[in-house]
Amino acid sequence: MNSAALSLKLLTRQSRSGALVMLFAGLVVATAALAAVSLFTDRVGRALERQAGEVLAADLVITGRERLPEEYREKAGELGLDTAEIALLSTVLFVGEESHLVDLKAVTETYPLRGQLKLADRLGSDQEETLATAPRPGTGWMAARGLRLFETDTGVEVDIGRRAVNIERVLTWEPDRGGSRFMLAPRLIIHMDDLLDSELLGPGSRVRWRLLVAGSESGVAEFRRWVEPRVEDRQDIETVAEAEADTGQALEQAQRFLGVAALTAVILAAAAVLLAALRYSRSQRDLVALLKAFGAEGRQILGALSLMLLWLALAAIATGGVLAFGAQTVIASILADGPAGELPPARLMPLVGSGSFTLLLAAGFALPPLVALRSVAPMRILNRSLDTRPGLAGGLWLVPILGALAIPVLQLGNLRLAMIVLGGSATLAAVLALAAWGAMGLSRQLSKRTRADWRFGLAGLHRRRGQGIIQITALGLGLMALLLLMIVRAELLEQWRGSLPEDTADHFVVNIQPDQREAVHEALVEAGALNLQIRPMATVNLIEVNGEPPPDHRWAGQTNVSWIDTLPPANRVIEGTFFAPDADGEISLAQRWAERTGVGMGDTMLFEAGGQRLDATVTSMREVEWESFNVNFFILLTPSAGESLPHQFIASFRLPEDAGPLRDIQQGWPNVSIIDIGALLDRIGEIIDRVSSAAQVVFFFTLIAGLVVLLAALEATRDERRQEAALIRALGADDALVRRGLLIEYGAMALIAAVLATGGAALTGWLLARELFEFAYRPSALLLASGFVVSFVLVVGSGWLGNRSVLKTSPIRILRAGG
Amino acid sequence: MGFSVDAPGGRLEILKDISLDLNAGETLAIVGASGSGKTTLLGLLAGLDRPTSGDIRLTGAELKSLDENARARLRKRHVGFVFQSFHLLPSLTALENVMLALEIAAFEHPRKRALEALDQVGLSHRLEHYPRQLSGGEQQRVAIARAFAGEPEILFADEPTGNLDQRTGEAVADLLFELNEHHGTALVLVTHDMKLARRCGRVDKIEDGVLTGGEGATEHA
Repeated sequence: MNSAALSLKLLTRQSRSGALVMLFAGLVVATAALAAVSLFTDRVGRALERQAGEVLAADLVITGRERLPEEYREKAGELGLDTAEIALLSTVLFVGEESHLVDLKAVTETYPLRGQLKLADRLGSDQEETLATAPRPGTGWMAARGLRLFETDTGVEVDIGRRAVNIERVLTWEPDRGGSRFMLAPRLIIHMDDLLDSELLGPGSRVRWRLLVAGSESGVAEFRRWVEPRVEDRQDIETVAEAEADTGQALEQAQRFLGVAALTAVILAAAAVLLAALRYSRSQRDLVALLKAFGAEGRQILGALSLMLLWLALAAIATGGVLAFGAQTVIASILADGPAGELPPARLMPLVGSGSFTLLLAAGFALPPLVALRSVAPMRILNRSLDTRPGLAGGLWLVPILGALAIPVLQLGNLRLAMIVLGGSATLAAVLALAAWGAMGLSRQLSKRTRADWRFGLAGLHRRRGQGIIQITALGLGLMALLLLMIVRAELLEQWRGSLPEDTADHFVVNIQPDQREAVHEALVEAGALNLQIRPMATVNLIEVNGEPPPDHRWAGQTNVSWIDTLPPANRVIEGTFFAPDADGEISLAQRWAERTGVGMGDTMLFEAGGQRLDATVTSMREVEWESFNVNFFILLTPSAGESLPHQFIASFRLPEDAGPLRDIQQGWPNVSIIDIGALLDRIGEIIDRVSSAAQVVFFFTLIAGLVVLLAALEATRDERRQEAALIRALGADDALVRRGLLIEYGAMALIAAVLATGGAALTGWLLARELFEFAYRPSALLLASGFVVSFVLVVGSGWLGNRSVLKTSPIRILRAGG
Repeated sequence: MGFSVDAPGGRLEILKDISLDLNAGETLAIVGASGSGKTTLLGLLAGLDRPTSGDIRLTGAELKSLDENARARLRKRHVGFVFQSFHLLPSLTALENVMLALEIAAFEHPRKRALEALDQVGLSHRLEHYPRQLSGGEQQRVAIARAFAGEPEILFADEPTGNLDQRTGEAVADLLFELNEHHGTALVLVTHDMKLARRCGRVDKIEDGVLTGGEGATEHA
């Protein structure tokens, strides 16, 4: 009989064997856990991305200094995508006697493609309307700040070039406000036709054009592929991933939390498969001995076993895939109004990944114990005691194992996160194995000095040295994964939520003139402002970098700079040294700005402002916590350089609800503008809340997988336990002795696994928080203590429940089965 | 005494109306073909299970009235075992395997007794070896040492030479009978090897669950 036929016979004849069912279940759990988590995180991830798309008001934006070619729009139309066009322009607006600079935004009818605008009928109105629409031609929507600046209200008519536009409504929110948290000039949105007819777009006008594209993911992706080679020098592509969103970091955090959940599922799945395969291979030894005795060659047996595993893995992938699909549908329906609003439909892509993962997992974790069956001695058929012990074959198996682990890493696309979770697990696995090995040596010594129950119990630990080490390692890893989830769920998310400090600034005051600074400061303190910071700011033109024209990036050119004598809070120098208070000719750059514009350490920059020129060299690079909502600047000059520039001051502060009104300040100094960003902070809070609830559901699923592993680990050695229990009962041991022996064995095992798993989870949690989530995690002693107790009770308890049959084993069994 | 189990095809009678007496120091061989019920009978006689009808008296105790734990107590004081597959715990050394049985029976000085027992089977030089480091014959000698170390009143042996080659089997059988005589233990030996069976004082044959007088039975009746 050839290997293929033999493999099918093995599979069908044993389809009701407990050990084979268990291996199948292990593989199904592996597939289902990873597939459900990745299907779901894929959907949530895309939904969150779509939400982030609101920041662009589109899925993809092409920007340019000139109007974007008609063929772009036509191509997008062909692909079934929606498009809209925006022109952005700073211009001076006259209303009666008043003239002020406004940030004009002209949009076509289809704007916004993603997200919505919020509008009010008049200043101070509490009634807001949420709309996804552009203003009609001849009408415009102005930010409240602009209306106050012009000392007017809705209904006023303004001239934009040669066009008159009626300010119909107050603009309170626009999704694509752009990278800066606040604009110096107030926003005015008008219809594109009005701008085109205004004659403002003459030569030399500094207009920025944006073509917004949105639609199906595949369509957008295809459009991107098509447009990329066509984009010219002065054009740029922005996608959600690259968008400078205030909420961007929050969304990244969200992906990371879900990533941790997926990776723990992977660890659990690997452990489950390994344990199930070990049990199965043990149960196959008689069969292999028999086949060999009948003349089957080692190679033929190896081929048959490998093929059998392949069939099993394929069946498991199909079953697990269906289960996963069902599970994630249920999860999604529970969260119908959940984490990211309406979820996009599930894609099959993650299933391909988790299918390959299961195959590699089977090859890496289940094949070695099966291949080891090759060495089963045919003599075993005559006397089981004469069989050699199969060893686990060597290092070649690392290849599929590494391959299997690489898949989730690639799927999640976050190497550091993967390194921390997988590296933490690998380290823990090594420590666990070492500890288990040590504990076995110790128990060996101890058992020499003890009486029957302890001798029997402790002997249980080192009875199957290799398997015992694997069992403790798998138990420990499973527990660690569960504890890590508990830590992430209970503490990391909570602490992240709390990482937006109570006194986060929610107001800005801009355009404070130098001679008003002291008085405004006093007035703000009087109004009850907390965490008040006032910083100087000048608007400069970047003329040259290293003697060359500056890079053509929207962040270069006209830009805001500040100066300070010490490193500001929420800033960290990552390269070079922050300049001394009395230094001259030095610049400190924010890393994000430097990356985008390509300006780096040691470069010389030449600025111009108010007829003055100023050059300085970059001597330090800063990492800025933008989410701190302090006033932060990309470019910091030395005080001596900055003070000579024409400048104003800008203040940031938090205003408690019971603080005095800011109206007095506004009336006292009409030139200053007060900006309220409370709505933005609320939005970030909302994102965190939604991520928490999404993560909980994902975590719950991983938890189930973890429990399966736990049971598999304890189940793995049950057959041998029953045999041994039968023997010592035949020798006259009573229930109590067998029970004490089991408790001693499980207690010792639980102790090692729980102590190390708790420590490992705390350490990995701390590392994750520090390296990825960027806040200091304080593991709570209570959580760790309860984690330890729960782990201990879980192992001993489930070991106890799973081995009730051992206690009930009749000693007659010893006459029926061989040793 | 009888024994039956519920099987898919209905109730299956494994042992029917068995009547058997064995006095202290007597040796009895039970012979029969595979599936005749001889191993089941051995298990019942040793108190590993209870008959479904009738009763068994072992060293004065009625087994039917005893629960599993009470029967375990009875076994550890009065009964020794030698199995076809040796049944040594693989993680314990030869010495520890013998000691474990003594400890279960709560004997004083288990180590000393175990050392003596292993010395009697000629394995003083193999004390710290694990079962996998011992030959089949040696493993069975450890099992014999374990069986006699507690000085049981009755020893049950299930095909004790069944897993051994002829020469080793004979040597092990010699040892078994020698120690049996030395300790004055009653012996119940289950085998299908007539040559081995004839070494017992009495041979009973079992066929389809029915015990019939065998060769020795007539001689010693």
